[in-house]
Amino acid sequence: MDSSDGYMCKMHFQIKNETVVSRAGTSAHEQTCLPMEEALELPLDDFEVTESTATNEVIKYEYHVLYSCSYQVPVLYFRASFLDGRPLALKDIWEGVHECYKTRLLQGPWDTISQQEHPILGQPFFVLHPCKTNEFMTPVLKNSRKINRNVNYITSWLSLVGPVVGLHLPLSYAGAASQDE
Amino acid sequence: MTDDKDVLRDVWFGRIPTCFTLYQDEITEREAEPYYLLLPRVSYLTLVTDKVKKHFQKVMRQEDISEIWFEYEGTPLKWHYPIGLLFDLLASSSALPWNITVHFKSFPEKDLLHCPSKDAVEAHFMSCVKEADALKHKSQVINEMQKKDHKQLWMGLQNVVSTWSSQEIETTQRVKQDRFDQFWAINRKLMEYPAEENGFRYIPFRIYQTTTERPFIQKLFRPVAADGQLHTLGDLLREVCPSALAPEDNPTPKRQGLDVQACAQKV
Repeated sequence: MDSSDGYMCKMHFQIKNETVVSRAGTSAHEQTCLPMEEALELPLDDFEVTESTATNEVIKYEYHVLYSCSYQVPVLYFRASFLDGRPLALKDIWEGVHECYKTRLLQGPWDTISQQEHPILGQPFFVLHPCKTNEFMTPVLKNSRKINRNVNYITSWLSLVGPVVGLHLPLSYAGAASQDE
Repeated sequence: MTDDKDVLRDVWFGRIPTCFTLYQDEITEREAEPYYLLLPRVSYLTLVTDKVKKHFQKVMRQEDISEIWFEYEGTPLKWHYPIGLLFDLLASSSALPWNITVHFKSFPEKDLLHCPSKDAVEAHFMSCVKEADALKHKSQVINEMQKKDHKQLWMGLQNVVSTWSSQEIETTQRVKQDRFDQFWAINRKLMEYPAEENGFRYIPFRIYQTTTERPFIQKLFRPVAADGQLHTLGDLLREVCPSALAPEDNPTPKRQGLDVQACAQKV
């Protein structure tokens, strides 16, 4: 098998804890997030999830970074499902995205998320369309050269596109990137 | 390109006689008869099966109907693969007609993409065309085209319909020629390259095999070797899929059902 084939994979588990709180007649939802676990294809059994009440729903988010040799840029593939395997539709994932990113996503330049076949697994994933990547990455690279600072392409790219689809990078990623160089 | 015109026409006008049968566990108000159709090789299942859907929905209640999906011998059929590809990959060694089972329940979320409308097929088709041009011309040709040219490409394909008989094809021959010309009027621009270049930047290709885990092989491949010799299909296979050429197995690569040896002089 070609060693250049492969993908980076991150799995993120989130408990959606629906708590109904009476506050002037309205109900509020609180989201409790488990800490992010970095897993390179970690099997589900190795991950401990505490299930407290029947109303808790654990959602497994999977993010894969692949390289598109056609566009010569990285591409973000993602999907989410409940632990019983039921997949989330794009609109359900969309609900988990923070408001400020929703506005940004609707403005573009990454204006398309579509469902596509994962080129290695052959299963349906949602994909952030890669054809505009160069458009928003070029200023980042140009600027870093101007101020003479090395930038890790993948880290920068992921920090820009990730939050749009619910993938948040800890600040330690930025620190690690500059330490390597 | 003129010497290849026969091959282009054979691919474009290729048909597969298909028999659609409703899945036995679907709930019907009366017996559902099988439905026969000649499917166009170059199109997509969800684009050309409106008649199939209508036929079976006539014997079903609205509440028992959700998204349609197709299956062959237990394998859900990926609508985003061209029909000819699906047939060559899964059923070419079986007797005709191709027997496809129709489902209206239990959509296999893990295996199939959803197809909410014809727009989804158009979006998929156009993204394939764009990715191919990214490889051939760094997207220059497709990006320079106007929106109406993209539409013409799509309309040419969308107008390739399923028919009931070869006779129907013959009587509409003149109309069908128009579709072919309509499509190629735009597509030929995507198939050109500057004379001094001797070929595209990279050749857009995908190799599908049933024997592998991954859905297809797609790699960067130049049309011309370092010494200036033009690459052939054999060179491509040797480079990216040598197992396909193992002498013991002797499989023949198929391009939309046509044995490739005859047309592999020049990629």
